[in-house]
Amino acid sequence: MKNPDAIVIGAGLVGACAALALTNAGLKVLVIDRGPVASGTTGAGEGNILVSDKEPSAELTLALRSRDAWFELNTDVGGGFELEDKGGVVISRSSQGIDNLKKLSKLQAQNGIEVVQLDAAGIRQIEPHISKDVEYAVLYPQDAQCQPMLAAACIMRAVRKRGGVFMQGENVKSITVESGKVVGLVTEKNRYSSPIIINATGTWAGEVAKMAGSYLPIMPRRGFILVTAPAPKIVHHKVYDADYVANVASSDADLQSSAVVEGTESGTILIGASRERVGFKSDLDVAVLRQLARQAISLFPILSNIALLRAYRGFRPYAPDHLPVIGEDANVSGLWHAAGHEGAGIGLAPATGELLVSQITGTKAFMDPTPFSPKRFKEGEALAI
Amino acid sequence: MHNVVIVGAGPAGLSAALAAAAAGAPVLLLDSNQRLGGQYWRNSSEPIESQKDQHFDLDTGMLLMNAVKARKEISVWNGAQIWSASHKDGVNTLRVLHQGGEKIINTANLVLCTGAYDRTLPFPGWDIPGVMTPGGVQSLIKGHGVLAGNKVVVAGSGPFLLPVAAGIIKAGGQVVELLEANKSKRWLLSPLTLLENITKLKEAFYYIKTISQGKVRARFGVAVIAAHKGVDGKLESVDVATIKRNFKVKKTRNVKCDVAAIGWGFTADTSLAGALGCKLKVARDKGVVAEADSNQQSSIPGIFVAGELTGIGGAELSMAEGVIAGISAAKFVGCKVEISRAHKKRRAKKQRFADALIRSYPVKSGWLTWLKNETTVCRCEEVSVGNLKYAIEELGATDSRTAKLFTRCGMGLCQGRVCGRSVVDLVAAELNISPTDTDRISAVNRPIISPIPLGVLAAGE
Amino acid sequence: MQSNIEFTFDGQKMLALPGQSVGAALLAANQRTLRTTRFNENERGVFCGIGICFDCLVVINGVGNQRACLIEVTAGMNVQTQVGSHA
Repeated sequence: MKNPDAIVIGAGLVGACAALALTNAGLKVLVIDRGPVASGTTGAGEGNILVSDKEPSAELTLALRSRDAWFELNTDVGGGFELEDKGGVVISRSSQGIDNLKKLSKLQAQNGIEVVQLDAAGIRQIEPHISKDVEYAVLYPQDAQCQPMLAAACIMRAVRKRGGVFMQGENVKSITVESGKVVGLVTEKNRYSSPIIINATGTWAGEVAKMAGSYLPIMPRRGFILVTAPAPKIVHHKVYDADYVANVASSDADLQSSAVVEGTESGTILIGASRERVGFKSDLDVAVLRQLARQAISLFPILSNIALLRAYRGFRPYAPDHLPVIGEDANVSGLWHAAGHEGAGIGLAPATGELLVSQITGTKAFMDPTPFSPKRFKEGEALAI
Repeated sequence: MHNVVIVGAGPAGLSAALAAAAAGAPVLLLDSNQRLGGQYWRNSSEPIESQKDQHFDLDTGMLLMNAVKARKEISVWNGAQIWSASHKDGVNTLRVLHQGGEKIINTANLVLCTGAYDRTLPFPGWDIPGVMTPGGVQSLIKGHGVLAGNKVVVAGSGPFLLPVAAGIIKAGGQVVELLEANKSKRWLLSPLTLLENITKLKEAFYYIKTISQGKVRARFGVAVIAAHKGVDGKLESVDVATIKRNFKVKKTRNVKCDVAAIGWGFTADTSLAGALGCKLKVARDKGVVAEADSNQQSSIPGIFVAGELTGIGGAELSMAEGVIAGISAAKFVGCKVEISRAHKKRRAKKQRFADALIRSYPVKSGWLTWLKNETTVCRCEEVSVGNLKYAIEELGATDSRTAKLFTRCGMGLCQGRVCGRSVVDLVAAELNISPTDTDRISAVNRPIISPIPLGVLAAGE
Repeated sequence: MQSNIEFTFDGQKMLALPGQSVGAALLAANQRTLRTTRFNENERGVFCGIGICFDCLVVINGVGNQRACLIEVTAGMNVQTQVGSHA
């Protein structure tokens, strides 16, 4: 396919969902990735599909739509990626924290999130192994999880079966722009023409924007995930400390972490979530592993005997205001960005695809996309590393 | 003077420890086993003299082990399991589980002698209790005085099958079949090498004598291609096939047995070297090994590597390399000592023999035709051949790493130590491509070297 | 040779020699199945014998995922078949 209607750069979940939405809208789509499917941040994610960590905002509107879109998409592509509406449980142990969580959850409930308040007995009914000192929690039944690599692969399979083409192992070298408009791109191996290019390269989206002579302030925020040996079902929901919400929004460069603990269909337990701004530094940091282990045990003391089997790291793509970028480039027409979802890319991917396609095809969107526009950044806007 | 830190107390590690101590360096020797000797000189708590029956040359082993115990410059940590290691700015950090807790070792120099373990190939029924590795059967006899069963089929390829069969007979067991997949005359390809390594011939004759006393005759060009369980769920019989040079099946028959010991040579244990960032490479037998220069130094200055870790070559080559690595490490910490030409000559001679050995016992791709869709590939995560095919055909995996991530093949407790090498070959064959060195090296990447309880991890600093 | 260390396997009294591993002592008593797998409930026993393969997993004194081939029997040890995964 040398002359597709649209080219998507990046076969992570955001790219895959954009490609599927475009294909379903009737476009001939080419997807290009320098590696195999889901070989970037998607492959290093836990598969979070969360509404619980969002305050009422444009991002919450996107998250609520995306959560439902995930289940529609599951039906559309025929499943196969362990999508599970397991629900999230957020706890807090300080009186200040409990007050904040009560306020937040009340506000969330007014904005369309299902919220169930749990007292000490209620928590133990749904999470019997939770630490003794946990006396208040909020259950968010809409929180869900999937296996992100399988999800990307299943979505890409649907794209291929519906006429799309996936070229993997092709590195994009340059994007051709003529009188302010995208006309195609050049890879190490091929040259393609297309009036529409979608930049879904996550953490690397800034480099791609630069290839088109434009710019996008996306930076990496490193995170580690611990994977335990397979264990019986002892963690039933995604369970996390309310501090997590504060860390997500923090602009601090230093290491922050708060326990996020969940079981998976395969029996392993995943423990996140650290956040640090250290560029693309990839070595295994044992101090971070120890801190995550301590926090996880403080939530579930039973984890003490369970062994750590693997640890992996990924680089979340974040923008200065921590909001995703979904929309047409500020300088180059025909260049569309779908990137910068930070730690929420898996959850937000399907709605991102929808929002992008409605802008490209000029159809009515489920929400106003303005808050996510790339035009919100000023050229040369400084980023704290 | 800083310690020379040595990991592994088999033939290479013991030799390295003695060479470094003789040069005047204090030595810390770590091993995951409770006793010195490694797999080769594995021994039990019985008086060691009574165990000579199970060894061709325990005298050398006893000499080395006793010397290591006697030298006051050498401290030994037995039962020490390294779970994580890293190298930064010339300092190597080993995080060690020892005596119920975690200990941290920081050292500028290291000698890695982490050895090897049996290479296995998946085949239908290889996960039935009673199918074992030859090394497993041998370790039970040598280390614990236990015979794994009464009627044993010993099969696969490589010279290691001989001592295993001999050991079973010496321990009073019956070897019902001794099957070498390759043809016997392959050995004649390198007669000169054989002659200059005459002790190896003696060793072979020693085993063959024992085996013939057990009324077993080795068969060549024959392999076990399937195992079957009885109503009790235990191994009852194996399918034994005459195979072509490329390992494709000509004809099969069924043989009753209660244990099948099947191995295809060895795989070097590169986990620690890899975690430290030592450069790994693909050896002639397509196994991954650590790179070493002529002084046994790895790609990282101050980290030396010796023995099976640098390429499968047997105990004598391991000792020759261990001595050089020990001297190099002592020199690195400031001892006045040089590697002699005699040391290097000895190593070269043993290396020629090892090369001839590798050429004589190839594993040919025809083994892939023994597999069925339902055959388990990953024992830990119970991933079948069919699951891998689904990852390739349906999900579009085009390399073994992606196929692994889609299926969890090789992502269980053993972290791909058992199936990883086979998965690379299987996925490549399915895609009709040749595996790259990157594929093979990425299959042995294990940043967490061995599982660690979260409680122990949390308690560390 | 004297079997002089007592331990239990699934509640049954067993004997081991000093220094013997749990796996070796159980094999000596012709006890081949040490666990069942978590998905297909297949029986598994000692395979590699040297701590590499993690197939001989048993529950020892209540703690799961213990490699029977590596752990020495101690007096009074309570060993159980591991069913699927175990915390």
